[in-house]
Amino acid sequence: MSTVTEQPTTTLKKGYVGQSIPRKEDKRLVQGQGTFFDDVRRHGMGYVHFVRSPYAHAKIVSIDVSKALELEGVYGTITGDEVAIHTDPFFEMSVEPGGNIKDYALAVGRVRHMGEPVAAVCAATRELARDAADLIEVDYDPLPVLVDAEESLKNEVVLHDDAGSNVVWSGVFDWGDVDQALADADHVVKIDRLHFHRFSSTPLECAGALVEYDKGTGEWTLTCNHQMPGVGAIWMAPALRTGIDKLRFVTHDIGGGFGNKICLHPQYVVLCLMARKLGRPVQWTEWRTDQHTANAHGNERTFFDVEVAVKADGEMTGFKVRALDDCGAFPRYEPLGCIIWAQVTPGLYGWRNIRVDFTQVCTNKSPVSPNRGYSRMQHLWLTERIVDIVATELGLDPVEVRKRNYVKAEQMPYETPNGCVYDSGDYAAALDIALDLIDYGSVEARRSEAASRGKLLGFGIGSTLDSGTNNFGQSTLLNPDLQFSGNNEAASVKLDIFGEVVVTLGTVPQGQGHETTAAQVVADILGCSPDQVNVRRGHDTWFNSHAGFSGTYASQFAFTGLGAVKGAAELVREEMIQLAAAVLQAPPDVIELADGFARIKDGPEEAALPFMALGAIINANNAFLPPEFNPTLNHRFVCRPYFGMVDTEKKTGQLTLTYATQIHAAVVEVDPETGEVEIVDYAAVDDCGVRINPQIVEGQVHGATAHAIGAALSEDFVYDEEGTLLTANFYDYHVPHAMDMPPLKTGAMESPSPVAPLGAKGMGEGGGGGIHCIGAAIQDALRAAGGAIVYTSCNPPHRVWSMLQDPEANSAHVEVVSR
Amino acid sequence: MLLREVEYARPATVEDAVSLLATHDGARPLAGGQTLVNVMKARAAAPDVLVDLADLDELRTIGFSSDGLLEIGAMVTYAQLMSSSEVDVARPILAEVASTIADVQVRNRGTVGGNVCVSDPTNHLPPLLAALGATFTIRGAAGERTVSADEFFLGVYMTAVGEGELLTKVSVPPSSGAGDGFAGVTIGKHGTYIVDAAATVAGDNVAIALGCVAAAPVRAAAMEKRLAGSDFSEATVRGAAEGLGETLDPPSDVHGSADYRRRLAEVSAVRAVLQAAGRRKER
Amino acid sequence: MEAPTRSRAISVEVNGEQIEMEVPARRLLVHFIRDDLGLTGTHVGCDTGNCGACTIHLDGEPVKSCMALAVQADGTKIRTVEALAADGELTALQQAFNAHHALQCGYCTPGMLMSATALLERNPRPTEDEVRYALQGNICRCTGYVNIVEAVMATGSGA
Repeated sequence: MSTVTEQPTTTLKKGYVGQSIPRKEDKRLVQGQGTFFDDVRRHGMGYVHFVRSPYAHAKIVSIDVSKALELEGVYGTITGDEVAIHTDPFFEMSVEPGGNIKDYALAVGRVRHMGEPVAAVCAATRELARDAADLIEVDYDPLPVLVDAEESLKNEVVLHDDAGSNVVWSGVFDWGDVDQALADADHVVKIDRLHFHRFSSTPLECAGALVEYDKGTGEWTLTCNHQMPGVGAIWMAPALRTGIDKLRFVTHDIGGGFGNKICLHPQYVVLCLMARKLGRPVQWTEWRTDQHTANAHGNERTFFDVEVAVKADGEMTGFKVRALDDCGAFPRYEPLGCIIWAQVTPGLYGWRNIRVDFTQVCTNKSPVSPNRGYSRMQHLWLTERIVDIVATELGLDPVEVRKRNYVKAEQMPYETPNGCVYDSGDYAAALDIALDLIDYGSVEARRSEAASRGKLLGFGIGSTLDSGTNNFGQSTLLNPDLQFSGNNEAASVKLDIFGEVVVTLGTVPQGQGHETTAAQVVADILGCSPDQVNVRRGHDTWFNSHAGFSGTYASQFAFTGLGAVKGAAELVREEMIQLAAAVLQAPPDVIELADGFARIKDGPEEAALPFMALGAIINANNAFLPPEFNPTLNHRFVCRPYFGMVDTEKKTGQLTLTYATQIHAAVVEVDPETGEVEIVDYAAVDDCGVRINPQIVEGQVHGATAHAIGAALSEDFVYDEEGTLLTANFYDYHVPHAMDMPPLKTGAMESPSPVAPLGAKGMGEGGGGGIHCIGAAIQDALRAAGGAIVYTSCNPPHRVWSMLQDPEANSAHVEVVSR
Repeated sequence: MLLREVEYARPATVEDAVSLLATHDGARPLAGGQTLVNVMKARAAAPDVLVDLADLDELRTIGFSSDGLLEIGAMVTYAQLMSSSEVDVARPILAEVASTIADVQVRNRGTVGGNVCVSDPTNHLPPLLAALGATFTIRGAAGERTVSADEFFLGVYMTAVGEGELLTKVSVPPSSGAGDGFAGVTIGKHGTYIVDAAATVAGDNVAIALGCVAAAPVRAAAMEKRLAGSDFSEATVRGAAEGLGETLDPPSDVHGSADYRRRLAEVSAVRAVLQAAGRRKER
Repeated sequence: MEAPTRSRAISVEVNGEQIEMEVPARRLLVHFIRDDLGLTGTHVGCDTGNCGACTIHLDGEPVKSCMALAVQADGTKIRTVEALAADGELTALQQAFNAHHALQCGYCTPGMLMSATALLERNPRPTEDEVRYALQGNICRCTGYVNIVEAVMATGSGA
């Protein structure tokens, strides 16, 4: 019934795959008939509100819930003390001392970020739960607040006594010989500081869950929007001291994830405890302010003391950098971010000598969670900043220096200095398409024209990679004791009694159109139309169609998700052919599946069995089949990509299997009086190999671009010295609205992946392509007005204005040492 | 996101509304709700009683007084301003600015009265109405009185409307050939202002009001004086704006430092004045 | 003159059906629609009235139902996304959303449809700028608005 093998790569003959067929999901969603977790009701359910810390760092002196319990309609409460009794701390992935951090579902004894849940109350209505929360009295003793990663390194204020240090993880990655490269260089470009800021994708639907506990079986059912239930269960089950199969995750429709719905386990554990304690279903909906304050920021990373080795002809041979990552109050999915960037160590470039001295620390800010582009985005931004700054300082053309240093198409598959293999791609060609789309040749003329209107025009490129299909073995490069390696995803395909094709996925889509693309793949394999294929919505543990790493994250559905679908469909196909051959009394090699029939190729019309006939035989009319022939037409398949083992000493290995390319280019106009930046032209080119559904791919490019534009120009999670998040709602944390978006031109190429089952690479994260090109364009615009060097990834008007007023003080400090 | 318990009344007349506001401590009028409901969701304020003005048709009219003032009822929405032929004829800048407030949904509910009574320094209408020389009519148990913008906007969330009183209308002089301008920098398109300036050039004189830089709109008095009787050319206007920033003490926040706001105030004032000067009609 | 009350009996026409119900004064219109009436197509996406996922028609105009109280809807006519496809037949706009891939996760979609429907009812052939202006109060984090605008324009031109 189930098979685990490595995947040979075959490309499907094009049928539905490759077409932009409209999505199956849309019919229910456009009618408002989608089911999001907050739409679900249970009889007798209670609503939960979390009491959250108003302090960024404090001891909890006491919690008094008595007044809340007196309020009519309140069902019960829970505090950190109870959590510490009934659960164990969550599994930590780091080595000591970071690995000694104790992370519970509620704050125990101490709060470490503003908004951290301290207690929870459950009541008959949402409003009552909120009222009751106001009656819970918490007494705090404030402690000094750490909101700066460099301060945190000093360990004068230590956030986690169990660790004794704020350092979550630290290590040096050293490949090639960067010291020699620097010694041999004709120019060494030094950049003292670059800063990748804190922001996140802020999916429109907030997190939440409806949790039920079955006393008889000890099982919990979580109707929720966790986007990586496999990992969620790995955290939650040991904490709850229960078996993993006692946690049933059910998702239906999810309103966006982007990585921000991966670390929901603390709140979910609280809900599990309450459902069990109160003997009723309990429901929690996160509010927007909570999501911004206390759920899932992207990693904030500062790069120090960059040194780049450059030859006279513009070839860059290596760089070194010290990276300081701020993961907020609790690591959770971290320190994986400390290695995941290494999937794209050299970015799109050919340098062979790279040293990264990487440290991650805790601060009193919201914990981070993988955010669209997770950790690669920060590193790719670094490489793009390096290329632009080198180009600016040495007077090199930004297009030429990229083409000179890009990995070439002829070099693919290309092994990077740390053993990753870029499977395919033609970066220079993609760049040319982008340049063509924004009419690069006219940039100088447009610059003069803009100047006549008092505006500073600038042009910038952002090259980025969507590395996909993770090897979880990379975690052992951080902690050799971790028992993770490889990857997997599962799917099932069956043919039901009436000939209905039913597919269940292990993935957890939040808008990526998995129902549609899976149907396209199955339709081509089984010879029917996608309308005949029913792909069940969402994820359900009880589908038994998932594996340890199941979920939708890290740009891998097209490989692992569809790889699993393909594998299961092919097993069903094979049996359908064998069965039809037996019924039609013909050899299997003359049987074809087409138009919803299994029939003899070029045979008489009667020699055709509809799927219904096959389904009926297997399920209800199977006596005539010989005993040794036992088709089930119901298969579960696990796609297990092959990586090989990583080398924990050299910190090398194949960390991901596919690399989609995105090249972005922007033309901006800066108002020198106000610092406002307007994007006047924009192009994004994507190459994700074979596109199963080009329209869906393009939609992902649009969305990733919008996220990048928001991050580059306005979205910033800013803290004050007391650890208060100043941008906790959509007024102050401005995301692009319809009028904020520039005209977007998109282009596509297909460099099929030689390693993916369908030649299709995972894509969708966009790696911050827009963040890179907008920063570059701003820097280009400012060359005519002080020449500030963009040093940070978010440049709202006030920052651009500062760069105009005082270019030196508000930019990366760059020094060039030439031979 | 969820309100505290509150009591609600929906009076049929302005007198009843005023009476309710006077009788109940902690009573607040509810107009469009585009600010008050959010404030209550955040539990930043929790009135005990909401007096819904929705049925007070008297407050929804736009018309002219006997001496030609454009009279705008306090419950007139931004959308109504945009579609009003009276506004279009008498003072189109009101519709122009209203059309940039947030979005369609907000404009269908948000009211002129709400915008000015909230007196949030970043709101659009206070500096605009201050520059236009608007007056504000307030009704209470003791009767009715009309005050100037200076007297009306007292501070952040503070106006001359006292306990038990209601703003009933805003009266705006017709342009009569004056040119009006409005300029500033927002957080995103049609977002909240970081700094804004309103200007009216009528004959030889200009009125300039700055928003977002103080608790209430600030008149740029020195700049107004320098420009009186001038040619309103770009060079002149820029020259007149010099030093304006130094007279201000604006807030510093995540969207900009005090210094940034000082400079933006100068830039916005210049742009608003130039726009206004360019729109003056021949006499 | 009545005294203020903590709850109120309201009568509101919702999607053509007259509803009579006693509601707490503090209940938001969006929660009345979702929790009391079970019409869960209208969504909540933020706390501060910015995102527009809660957009409905109140007396024919698009408004954000998270910034209105249920009691304020007394005596009004409300239309939610569920009213668009009468008898399961999608409107031209809904079909265009599907054809042009104007939705990904679908969470902002009901609000978008309500805002766009209101636009097209007043302005059957909007320009791109007019479409963006009409949708400025509806945040989408998935699509970048590109295909949404395209779908509305296509519906407008009768395509």
